[in-house]
Amino acid sequence: MLRFASLVLSLAVCTTAAAAEPATKKRRPLPNEYGRVVMDNHSTAAKLAPVVFEHWLHRPLYTCRLCHVDIGFAMKAGATDVKAVDNAGGYFCGACHNGRTSFEACGREGKPTCVRCHSLGKGVKPERDLKSVVAKLPRGRFGNGVDWEQAELDGSVKPADFLEGVSIARKAMEARKDLELKPTQRGMAEIIFSHTKHTVWNGCEVCHPDIFVGVKKGTTQYSMVDIFEGRYCGVCHGTVAFPLLDCQRCHTKPVQ
Amino acid sequence: MRSTLAASFLAALALVVAAGPLLAADAPPKPPTPAECKKQVDEACAKTQDAMNLSGDELKELVARCDRLAPVVAAQPEPHRKVLGLRLKRCRDLYQFVLDTRERT
Repeated sequence: MLRFASLVLSLAVCTTAAAAEPATKKRRPLPNEYGRVVMDNHSTAAKLAPVVFEHWLHRPLYTCRLCHVDIGFAMKAGATDVKAVDNAGGYFCGACHNGRTSFEACGREGKPTCVRCHSLGKGVKPERDLKSVVAKLPRGRFGNGVDWEQAELDGSVKPADFLEGVSIARKAMEARKDLELKPTQRGMAEIIFSHTKHTVWNGCEVCHPDIFVGVKKGTTQYSMVDIFEGRYCGVCHGTVAFPLLDCQRCHTKPVQ
Repeated sequence: MRSTLAASFLAALALVVAAGPLLAADAPPKPPTPAECKKQVDEACAKTQDAMNLSGDELKELVARCDRLAPVVAAQPEPHRKVLGLRLKRCRDLYQFVLDTRERT
C-alpha cells in the first residue's frame, strides 16, 4: 500500500514538473550561426554590445590548438574572462587583432573597429560573410555547410599552428594509428577514429587528458547520451566541428 | 685621533665590501620577468608533439620541471599568469597522461 502511494506521489511530482517545463525542440542553428560564441564578461557593464565570435571566420586561418593552448582561450564560452586591457596588451584576441596581423581590437576608445566584435544586436554588416568565406571550400551537409576536414586535406584551407612571439617552436608531429571503436548498440557501424585528422587541428593536449582521460583504448566508456550532452566528442562535435547529425562521418566501418 | 678614525672607516668599508657577496647570496632570487617566464614555459612545453616517443625518465623530468615552474607562473602578473598557467597545465597534464599510459599498459 505504501509502495503504491509513493508511486502515485512520484508520478504526480513528475507530471507537475513536466507541466511546469514544457518540452521545446532545440532550434538547429543556421550555417552562419554554427560555432558562434557570444561573450559578455564585461561588455554590457562597459556599455558595449556583447562580443560575437564566429568560429567559421577564424578556423580557415588557425588551428584549434593555436588559440586554445598557445593563446590561452578556454574551451568554454566566457571562461577566459577576456578584458579590453588584455587585448590591448597583445593577449587573447589582441594576439592577432593588433593592427598588424588583423584590425586592432580594443585599441583606443571610440575607434570604429569596436563594433566589428561588439556586435550582438547591432545589425552590423560583416566585412566577410559566411558565403564569401566558404565559397571555394568543399561542401558539407551540416554545421557551417563546409567539410572542414576535406578542406584541410585538399589544401583549400591551411590553418597556421604557429604565431610568432606567442607559440612554442615544435617539431612536426608523427602520424598516429587510427582506432576502431566498437559501438554499444548492436548493428551500428563501427567508428573509425583518425588520430591524424584530429591532431592536425588539436595537437595532443587539447584532448588529452582533459576530454579523454582514459589511458588505454576502451577504458574511457561513454555513450551517445554523454556526447549529446557535450562531453567527450561532444565538446567539439555539436558546437564547432561537424554536428552529431552527421552519423556516417564517425560510424564509417560497414557492419560485418 | 684623525688617523684612528680613518682606519676605522677603512676597516668598516672593507667589511661591507667583503660581506657584499655573502649578503647577495642570502637574498631571495629575483622573480623572472614575464619574458623570462614565458621562455621557461616554452622550453618545458616544447616536447608535447613528441611526448609519445619520450622515455619514462624524460617524461618524469618534464613533469617535475613543470611542477617547479607552476609557482613561478602563479606569481606572474595577469593576464600573463592566466595564459602561461593554462599552457603549462595542458603540457604538464599531457606528459603525465603519457607516463600513466606507459605504466598501465
